[in-house]
This record gives sequence, C-alpha cells and structure tokens, in this order.
Amino acid sequence: MTPIIETHDLWKIHPMDGTGVEALRGVNLRVEPGEFIALVGPSGSGKSTLLHLIGAMDTPTRGEVLFEGKNLTALSDGERTQLRCHEIGFVFQTFNLLPTLTAFQNVEIALRLAGVSSRERTARVQGLLTQVGLGARTNHLPKQLSGGERQRVAIARALANHPKLLLADEPTGNLDSVTGEEIVALLEEVHCAGQTIVLVTHNATVAMKARRVLQIKDGQARLAAETIH
Amino acid sequence: MIDLAFKNILACKTRSLLCILAVMVSVYLNGSTATMNNWMYTTMTSELARYMGKIYVQQGGSSYPPFDSSIAETTAQEILAHNDLNVAQSTPLIFVRLARAMMPFMPAQAMVIGVAPGKESALWGRAEPASGVGAFASDERGDVAILGDKAAGYFSARVGDDIPINNTPVRVIGILQKSSMDSVNIAAVVPLASAQRIFAKEGTVSAVLVGAQDVNNVPTIADTLKRDYPLLQVVTQDDMLKDAQAVLKMPMLYMSVMSLTAFVVAFAVIMSTMVMAVFERTREIGTLRAIGADARTILVTVFAEIVILTLVGGIPGAILTLPMATVMNTILPSPAQFAQIVLLAVVAGALGGLYPAWRAARVNPLEALRYE
Repeated sequence: MTPIIETHDLWKIHPMDGTGVEALRGVNLRVEPGEFIALVGPSGSGKSTLLHLIGAMDTPTRGEVLFEGKNLTALSDGERTQLRCHEIGFVFQTFNLLPTLTAFQNVEIALRLAGVSSRERTARVQGLLTQVGLGARTNHLPKQLSGGERQRVAIARALANHPKLLLADEPTGNLDSVTGEEIVALLEEVHCAGQTIVLVTHNATVAMKARRVLQIKDGQARLAAETIH
Repeated sequence: MIDLAFKNILACKTRSLLCILAVMVSVYLNGSTATMNNWMYTTMTSELARYMGKIYVQQGGSSYPPFDSSIAETTAQEILAHNDLNVAQSTPLIFVRLARAMMPFMPAQAMVIGVAPGKESALWGRAEPASGVGAFASDERGDVAILGDKAAGYFSARVGDDIPINNTPVRVIGILQKSSMDSVNIAAVVPLASAQRIFAKEGTVSAVLVGAQDVNNVPTIADTLKRDYPLLQVVTQDDMLKDAQAVLKMPMLYMSVMSLTAFVVAFAVIMSTMVMAVFERTREIGTLRAIGADARTILVTVFAEIVILTLVGGIPGAILTLPMATVMNTILPSPAQFAQIVLLAVVAGALGGLYPAWRAARVNPLEALRYE
C-alpha cells in the first residue's frame, strides 16, 4: 500500500544571521493510511518544522516529501494550495478560527474553498458540528465559545473536506487538562473512523494515545514508543 | 468571498468608517471642483455667446464688466455713428457694481447696467419677463428698473416695489425670467439717463456695445475703431474669449490641483487603511492560505473590501455634490458624469489597494502558525 507520507533524507536549514540553523537533519519518515502518529520532542527540536513540511506549507532545504507517492517539492504553490485544500486538514494550537465568522461559517469556509455546492455544504457542516458536539452552537462567534469548543470547531473545519491526512500542532497546548483530554478523545474517535493523524505534542499523556510515538531530537526522528490500542 | 470582505469591514467599524468618510470627502471635493470648473466654463461660454458679432469699446486697461471704465458720452455717440453698425443692437452702457463677489474669481452678486431704452435686446437678446415688462419704453428716462432673476432676490423686490440704488428709490417695473447669462440674472437694468443721474455720471458712459450688421464685418469694424480711437480698448468676442480664458486659467488650474489632491488623499487613505488591515489580519490570511485559499482568492477578498469601501464612501460623496451643482446654477451632472466621479474613487481605491492586496496574496501559510 502506498504510504500517505514518506520523507527521504529531509533537511531543513533556517537561515539566520548569515549562518543556518539545522532544524531537521535527514529525517526519514513513513506514515501509513489509518495511522495515528505523535511527534514529540523538546521546544526547537524541529517537530513543528517537520509537520509544516509534510503539510505542504513549507519546502525542505534538501530531501523530499512524498504525499501518496507525489513529490511535494516538485509542486507549484498553486498545487500545494490545492493539496492543503482537498487532502490535508490542519488543527492549530491557537485554533485559528476567523473571528468574524460563526462556528458554522468557519467550518463552511473550508468547503467553499474546495468548491462544494451550497446545499451540500449546509448538510455537511451541520453533520460535522454535531459530530464534534457543537450542533447547538453553530451560530456562535469564536469569542462566544470556550477554548475547547473553538478547538472542536477547528477539528470540524479540518475534517470538512474528508482529508486523507489530519495534522494537529499541539492541539491541547492552549487548553486545560480536562478539555485537552476531551479533544484527544475526539481525535481518537476520528482516528477510529479511519482518519490518518499526525499530531505534534510535548505532552506525554497525549502522545501515548497515538499508535506510534516518534521522538524528534537533534533534527532526527527516532521511534520512541509503539502502543497497541 | 465578498461576504468575508463585508464582515471584515464590519469587524473594524471605526477604521472602516474613517476610510469611508475620507473617500466621501475626497469624492465630494472632486465632484465639487468639477462642478466649479464646469460652472466657470459654461458661464463664460454663455456670456460670450451673446457677443457674437458684437464689439465692446471701453476705456483702455479695463476688465470686463467694465466697472472702472469711463468714456465721454460724445465719443460714444461718435462710435455709434459709424457705418456698418446694427443700430438696434448698439448702445452706450453704464456698469456699476452693487455687491462684490462672495469668492475670488467669481462675478459680482449684483450690479446696475444703464442701457439706452429700446436697446435692451442688445444686452440679453430675447428675454421674457417673469412679471411686469421686459423692456423700457423708448422714451423712458425715469428711475425705473428691470431686474434679473438673482437681482430680484438680492433686493427682495417685486414689480411695483421701490428699491434703493445709491440712495435713490427706483421703481421695479419688470422682473426677467432666469437667463442662461449670469450677468443678466444679477443686473438691475435702468435707463441710461437714470443710471447717469443716480451715479453722477452725466456725460460719461462705461462702454459702448457695438453690433455689426454682418458678423463677417466684425474684424474690419474692430480694426477701424482701434485705428480711430487708439486710447480706447476695442474688444471682440475672440478677444473676450482669450481674456476670459486667461482669467479662468488660474482658478481652473487651482481647482484641478484640488481635485488631484483629493484623488491622492483617497489613494493614500485607502492604501494606509488596507495596509494596516492586512497587517492586522496576517494570521487570518495565513490561516486561509493554510486551509486551501489560493493567492487569487485572498487578492479578490482584499479588493472586494476596497471596492465596497470606495462605493459606500463614493456614492454619498457624489450625491453631496448635487446641492453644490444646484447652488452654482449649473446643469446637474449626467448619470455618466456621476458614474465617472464614483469610478474615479474606485480607481483611486484600486490603485491604493494594489500594494496591500499584493502583500496579502503573498502571505505565507506558515504565518498562521508563526503568530502563535
């Protein structure tokens, strides 16, 4: 089976003050369809950088990222945008909802960008918000929602276009422990439905919910744990 | 994504309102200066139209209207005795200013014109009276006046009223309908002898209006008069046109500079507002890019916001110029001119929005994470 993500000798050097900071140093990674992987590591270890590269938001200095066998580094900006729109869902640490849009509209915008028809959008958004437990709060603005509720909206938005890969960057980082657990439970639920997830976290409890835990250290990825759920 | 542009505008109410206000003022200034220029031009051309085939003879160095000009009445009679003149369209005239203009470069608010009775048509062609009479009896010498439309308003007079001119009560015997010539509208026209008496100008006139029997003979007559009266100023329609253009050049240029300034202000306000908006929304734009919005979508959203702001400010701004056009007594702007004024604001907005829109379209999706 073709892996969802495959990286070969992935390097990312951030230019800084005339020199370069090596964020990733030859990372090799393989994410199979339906997997739930957690990337852990200390701050500045390069885990977020790796997430950006496999999410087609950034380009490597060296090496390649293959998305279902397609080399992302060879894609144009427009093609990468299309990939992010249709194939990849993002969940951010700070939710990143558009403050002027309601919960419904925040989820709907992902579908609008993908060109989904108005009738289908309404049904799908309503279904997604119900799935994440916010069926009764569709017309609330982000500022009227709690942190956990905002993250649920963000997850619904990320899932809107049935992405093949869901990327979550510290999804519980801005939440209290109880709410964080609820969000992780929701991600597990989504994973059980067959969703491939790559999650970045520095929270060991959260990481242990994943099937594979990869430790990012000194710019390289090493298997830290493999769990059976 | 137009709804998103609307929501962005509503989300920053104060900033949007200031931007709309600036565009409105800018469009108003643009429209007003265009109206003023239009008014000056139409006034000049309609005034000059009645000098077709006519010659003004006045004291050397005088401007028009020749308030400061004085020539002997005997000289005026000599001039009027020339061959080839249209006697019915030729008359000695007295000009006296009653109220100065409200602004520089604008005509007087009211003036007195003394005219030989029976020769009024040399002044205003065919003018219908709104009330009373539209011409003097040929032997009229009394202190009577026919008022132009605006002059009647200036004196608040009706037919039969006495109006004070230089402390002399003058009976109003007619009020003319509004004329296309402003110098007729603002005039209290009195018989020449009465004007000479009221202003102690016996034996003198301000100018002689000479009508030619044949329009083609105007240059020849003008040359003859120049030769015979070298100390006097002989002015034809062409000369007046040149003089008027020279006089109007500066105010029209001034108006054009104001118009350009208004355009630049609109441009600068929109650019700074949108640069600020794009800067503040970098994370939101980055988020949109991260979830699949392409650069074109972002560009269209920012441009939609600019067009909405300029239209919401521009249309009321253009409407505000209508009262100005009414006050200036000019023809109201046509729908095409109206659209042109608004379009100018949109063009200013679009130009001002180029940089912020370009900047927004170049926002990297990573910005969505970088601002955490």
